[in-house]
Amino acid sequence: MNRIEAEKLYENSVRILKNNQHENGGFYASPPGTRYPFIYPRDHSIAILGCVSAGLMDEARKGLEFILSSQKPLGEFSQRYDVDGNDASYKDLQIDGNGLVLFVLGKYFQATGGSFFKEMADTAFIEKYWETIEKAVSFILLNKNEEVDLIHTINSIHEYPAYEHGFEIYANCACCAGIYAAVSMGKVLGKDVSEWEEQADIIKESILTRLYSPRRRSFIKCIRVKDKNSKPIGYDPFASTVLDIDAAEYAPAYFELIKDSDVKMITTAKRIHKHLWDKEIGGLNRYPEYWGRNNGGYGPWCHFTCELANHYIETDDQDQAEMYLDWVVDMAHNYTLPEHISTIERFELWLEDYTNAKILRDSKVKLIDDVRSHPKWKDGLAYVTIPLIWPHAEFVISYKKYSDKFH
Amino acid sequence: MIRLENMFPQAFLVGVTKMVDKDGTLETIHWLQEIGEELAALEGPGFEGAREDSINYLPICPFGSEITEFNEIYGHPAEFDDIVKKVYEMKKASDKPWEYPALTHALGVLQHSYSTKRAELAGAELYSLGSKSPKGDFKQFNEEALEKVGISKETVGQMLDRAFYVYKIVYPDKE
Repeated sequence: MNRIEAEKLYENSVRILKNNQHENGGFYASPPGTRYPFIYPRDHSIAILGCVSAGLMDEARKGLEFILSSQKPLGEFSQRYDVDGNDASYKDLQIDGNGLVLFVLGKYFQATGGSFFKEMADTAFIEKYWETIEKAVSFILLNKNEEVDLIHTINSIHEYPAYEHGFEIYANCACCAGIYAAVSMGKVLGKDVSEWEEQADIIKESILTRLYSPRRRSFIKCIRVKDKNSKPIGYDPFASTVLDIDAAEYAPAYFELIKDSDVKMITTAKRIHKHLWDKEIGGLNRYPEYWGRNNGGYGPWCHFTCELANHYIETDDQDQAEMYLDWVVDMAHNYTLPEHISTIERFELWLEDYTNAKILRDSKVKLIDDVRSHPKWKDGLAYVTIPLIWPHAEFVISYKKYSDKFH
Repeated sequence: MIRLENMFPQAFLVGVTKMVDKDGTLETIHWLQEIGEELAALEGPGFEGAREDSINYLPICPFGSEITEFNEIYGHPAEFDDIVKKVYEMKKASDKPWEYPALTHALGVLQHSYSTKRAELAGAELYSLGSKSPKGDFKQFNEEALEKVGISKETVGQMLDRAFYVYKIVYPDKE
């Protein structure tokens, strides 16, 4: 690995995290004037995780204050917020946001001392927001189906209901890990969290059995079910399974429900790499091309590439970890990362497909202009949405892990 | 086509017409407004839809497909027109006409009360500048709201070419 370049990317990624936090605490998904100038709890949570990893604890705390204060009355953290913390959603439920907020709050608490160094831990912060934590857990459990013991959602990490509406793996892992984080924090505060712990154990068991295919030796993406209260779910109009590979199937290890060395995770990661590593330009695609929603052209995503690099770091596969992180370093433009990268050919193919199908939204006009005017276009590459903050946070996390382990 | 599984939206729309017949247009308007406000309180502060600076717009029509499907089955009930007509009468008689929705359909009453209540919870005022009918065949504007916020009808008309509802968000405290 080119360590000098990697270090520069790390430093700039930290800078980008700091520079894209609004004074109210929210991390933009992409800077003002670009494609996503809002605060998306999913992206925001990962930015906080990046801050915790980089030791930016004040920024992490401020980010948590922002999101915890923006909770909706029923306990939900919705799709996106404006800088004042007002709900600005235009999409349906994405319950992984609830899990993520709790998960990163737990990480922040742990980093300040957690249950181990109680005198240092930011217990006052957790105490202050305990009611918010309770409501967030309640909202997750409100969406639990008692027949399969899984959490129902409409959208998840890709905001793509066609493949995520139902009991989806990323959402379930995030929520389960979020409840476990709430349990840990509650125990430190002396709260009775036994019921939550029991529920988290039940959900985890269900993830490891119902969302895992022993014959495929892989986690699966989703059990499609339209209504969370369908009973029996076999009669639900959507009842089916999504068995395709998705980078999000790494979620059980990402959210620390199982270890990377668990055979379930090792075989799933192999399947992810086999089917999603881009044969033409490297990097990890998020899902199969034929799922058909490839805005800006099909191609690898920087943050999913970083996420899976974690797996190889954790399993001591330095060569593979370097291949993943090297790709991210190589593709950075001026030490800045895009959402994803495509080729001119694939970009034009996407444009043709969407134009013919008449599903090209007006809002994509700017995306198209930005891609074509980016300097990398002349190298034959389509850089879509640059910078996106999320991959910088993921690079901070995975590169730090890599450095700590191998150097 | 009605199936028990998807009957609810159609049942609600039939209910609106029955309510007009039974309790009158004004009562029905108040009923729709109360529903909108109650749901807004559950959902909390916010502005649903797309945003360009302080302009908030909805690229898709809320309840659009349900209304269209309903009209295909029932025709266009006169009770819906009665509601729209009544709201315009109320607007005309009001000394704050900019607070009323630019209405193309009866269910716009529900949507307007929901949206403005959520804005109010966020400490903002939300002005309905223009809307487009669920089938997209005609537009309505609130001239007084346009004048109050200083945006031209042409500008909003152009936005309505790619949206169904256009609002302006105003924070009185920040003005």
